[in-house]
Amino acid sequence: MNDLPLNGIRVLDLSWIIAGPTATRFLAMMGAEVIKVGSARRPDPSTGSPPFRAYNQSKSYCSLNISDPKGLELVKQLLVISDVVIENFAVGVIERLGLSYEVVSAQRPDIIMLSSSGTGHTGPDKDYVAYGSLLQHYTGWNSISGNPQGEPVPGGLWADPWVGMELAMVTAAALSSRALNGQGQYVDFSMAEALSAGIPGAILDYQMNGRVPELMGNRDELYAPHGVYHCVGNDRWVAIAVTNDDEWQSLCGVIQRPDLAEDTRFAGSDGRMKHRDELDASISQWTIRFDDYEAMRLLQTAGVPSGPSLDISRVFNESQLREGGYLKTIQMRDGESRDLPGLPWRFDGGQEPILTEAPVLGQHNEYVYQELLGLTEQEATRLVEEQVIY
Amino acid sequence: MLDVGQGISAPYCAKILAHMGAEVIKVEPPEGDEARRAGPFPGEVPNPETSGLFLALNVNKYGVTLDLASSGGAKAFKNLAANADIVIENPPPDSLEAHRLGYESLRSINPGLIFTSITPFGNRGPYKDYKATDLVLHHMSGHAQGLLGAVDDPDSNPPIRAGGHQAELVGGMAAATATLMALYRKRMTGNGSRIDISSFEAMVNQHISGLASSAYGRPAPPRDLKKVQEAASAGNVSAIGGILPCKDGYVAVSPREDVQWERWLGVLGNPEWATDDRYTTRDARQKNSPSLWKLLSEWSSNYSKTEIARWGQEQRIPCFAVNTVLDLLNDEHLAQREFFVELNHPVAGTLKYPGAAYRFSNTQLPLAARPAPLLGEHNRSILENLD
Repeated sequence: MNDLPLNGIRVLDLSWIIAGPTATRFLAMMGAEVIKVGSARRPDPSTGSPPFRAYNQSKSYCSLNISDPKGLELVKQLLVISDVVIENFAVGVIERLGLSYEVVSAQRPDIIMLSSSGTGHTGPDKDYVAYGSLLQHYTGWNSISGNPQGEPVPGGLWADPWVGMELAMVTAAALSSRALNGQGQYVDFSMAEALSAGIPGAILDYQMNGRVPELMGNRDELYAPHGVYHCVGNDRWVAIAVTNDDEWQSLCGVIQRPDLAEDTRFAGSDGRMKHRDELDASISQWTIRFDDYEAMRLLQTAGVPSGPSLDISRVFNESQLREGGYLKTIQMRDGESRDLPGLPWRFDGGQEPILTEAPVLGQHNEYVYQELLGLTEQEATRLVEEQVIY
Repeated sequence: MLDVGQGISAPYCAKILAHMGAEVIKVEPPEGDEARRAGPFPGEVPNPETSGLFLALNVNKYGVTLDLASSGGAKAFKNLAANADIVIENPPPDSLEAHRLGYESLRSINPGLIFTSITPFGNRGPYKDYKATDLVLHHMSGHAQGLLGAVDDPDSNPPIRAGGHQAELVGGMAAATATLMALYRKRMTGNGSRIDISSFEAMVNQHISGLASSAYGRPAPPRDLKKVQEAASAGNVSAIGGILPCKDGYVAVSPREDVQWERWLGVLGNPEWATDDRYTTRDARQKNSPSLWKLLSEWSSNYSKTEIARWGQEQRIPCFAVNTVLDLLNDEHLAQREFFVELNHPVAGTLKYPGAAYRFSNTQLPLAARPAPLLGEHNRSILENLD
């Protein structure tokens, strides 16, 4: 028992790879019982890797070959006792497996079924084969990032984790709706649309002004100075964003340039925008003498928005994430203890989110088949031998 | 729901809930939400009623103006809050606590209230009083490091942020997720919640795969092209994939699996180089991806992005045109799915807005209920009916 918001909710997780498992990770940590269903026949691609251990924290994991008729029967029994089911197979696969919404809702009329795919489940391009990284290009998401006159940016790890959180959000909305009217839902989710919905400014700008966005690297349409500035050390930078006159005056104080503070050409954002090359050069003369964290400390103490440009190893070592409670130390099955990610929110005074190590395939078979579905040990053993529980 | 937010994160959260059917009242200071002063504007002429950013983030809401520093404004706000399920804010600049309208004082008049606050670092940890913007959050969270991919000289080619204020949108999406979970609990138990969102943690949480790798002692991926190529020849590189130049832009493709590669060679017309030992296995292709990408680019430059994308998808290879916003607005698939929602705003006119990525089978979402409110548009209808 727990008093977390999703206490009492059971989620049957047929999803795999990144986005679906990321969604159910949110639900599991917030109190839902998430039963991940997988099979050695087609293992989840990240199995065994460190990322798998993040995507699948706090879940139970049973093995089941759902393409076997007996496996399908067991999934249906699990659906009867589930509130939510989520899948992210290619369009049409869940129906071919015999688990269309019609079938699923016949087992449990008020179930919430989430189906997530690259381009959604209707429309002429619904069968497009997709990876998240490519969808960022397809949807215009990458088109608004880059250095001036540069090529399209190739990277950015965004689609899958963004969709994962949005799927968790949609699940919570559907549960809230069910709490009022008792109705379930089938949810058709498009990863591509989730990304295109994230660039509203560019979409409206085109309609208003007939232009595609100008690429500006770290610079901004409204504010200056605004960028990253070289610090001591190879590839070390501090990001600084001045958004008003007070912050500008504070910055001039920190870099000991009263001449800039008094110069009327730089009063107001418009003036600073016009002279931003000159200002960037002046700021760099100061930052190059400091370590990136030291620069942040001096600037933040004076009220200037700033921070170092970190790679993921340095993010992992951030004191803010440990002292703020986002990273938590977990004792793991291999005897080691490791710091693993939590959730980006706190419910004040509420119970801490559930944070347990990711399971391995089949770890919770006994719980799922014998305790939940009431199979005898002999029945379960036979299904293992028949490669149904597999 | 009362949206006391300004700018992007909290208004985006409130817009998500408005899309889901919540009645959202946007409470602005008399001078208006700061997003009204951000662009894009038609013809680049600033006008508080035509900011594209504001219009998109505030569709489906009612709008009132209140001076929370005045006793009348504070009283009206309390009256609104007494009948609200949810209040959301994203200080600075304005915090409800500063006006003695924080969670504790609102809870005394509305015990079941859900109160969600978004700040750069949350109310915890050594940086809780630090300031951060979208730029700073991109860099501190590690997301800026990967965007450019590998570069020749990292020391003269710094990491950049993604466009479109993604760090603020992520804070808003995290707030919507937590708030809707709290709403579910409220409907089951009657209990309210106080929720504290850290936009920094929301950005970091977009990279749990990298954090887990760090927890297992793996080094961060290098930015230096030479180091990336060394890692590739040592067999430590991820699947091939990326963008190829075309006659009219770019195409993004990743024929990473052996079966996909075989079919991709068919699309290319089975070129002679394909039998070269450097490209015959998945491992070899990953090790030799720089020279392989050159060969593919020579081929792709002869065709259009939509041609190549179609040929690839016909062979079930993940392959997409690199689209601009104009391509999206003209896209037949999005049109058939009614992704864009047309709304007529009294000042900004008729525009297509991005809708939602989800369709509910049993609930029609009110995506086109009303355009963003004019400043103070509903003062009379909402504020005069209080008490």
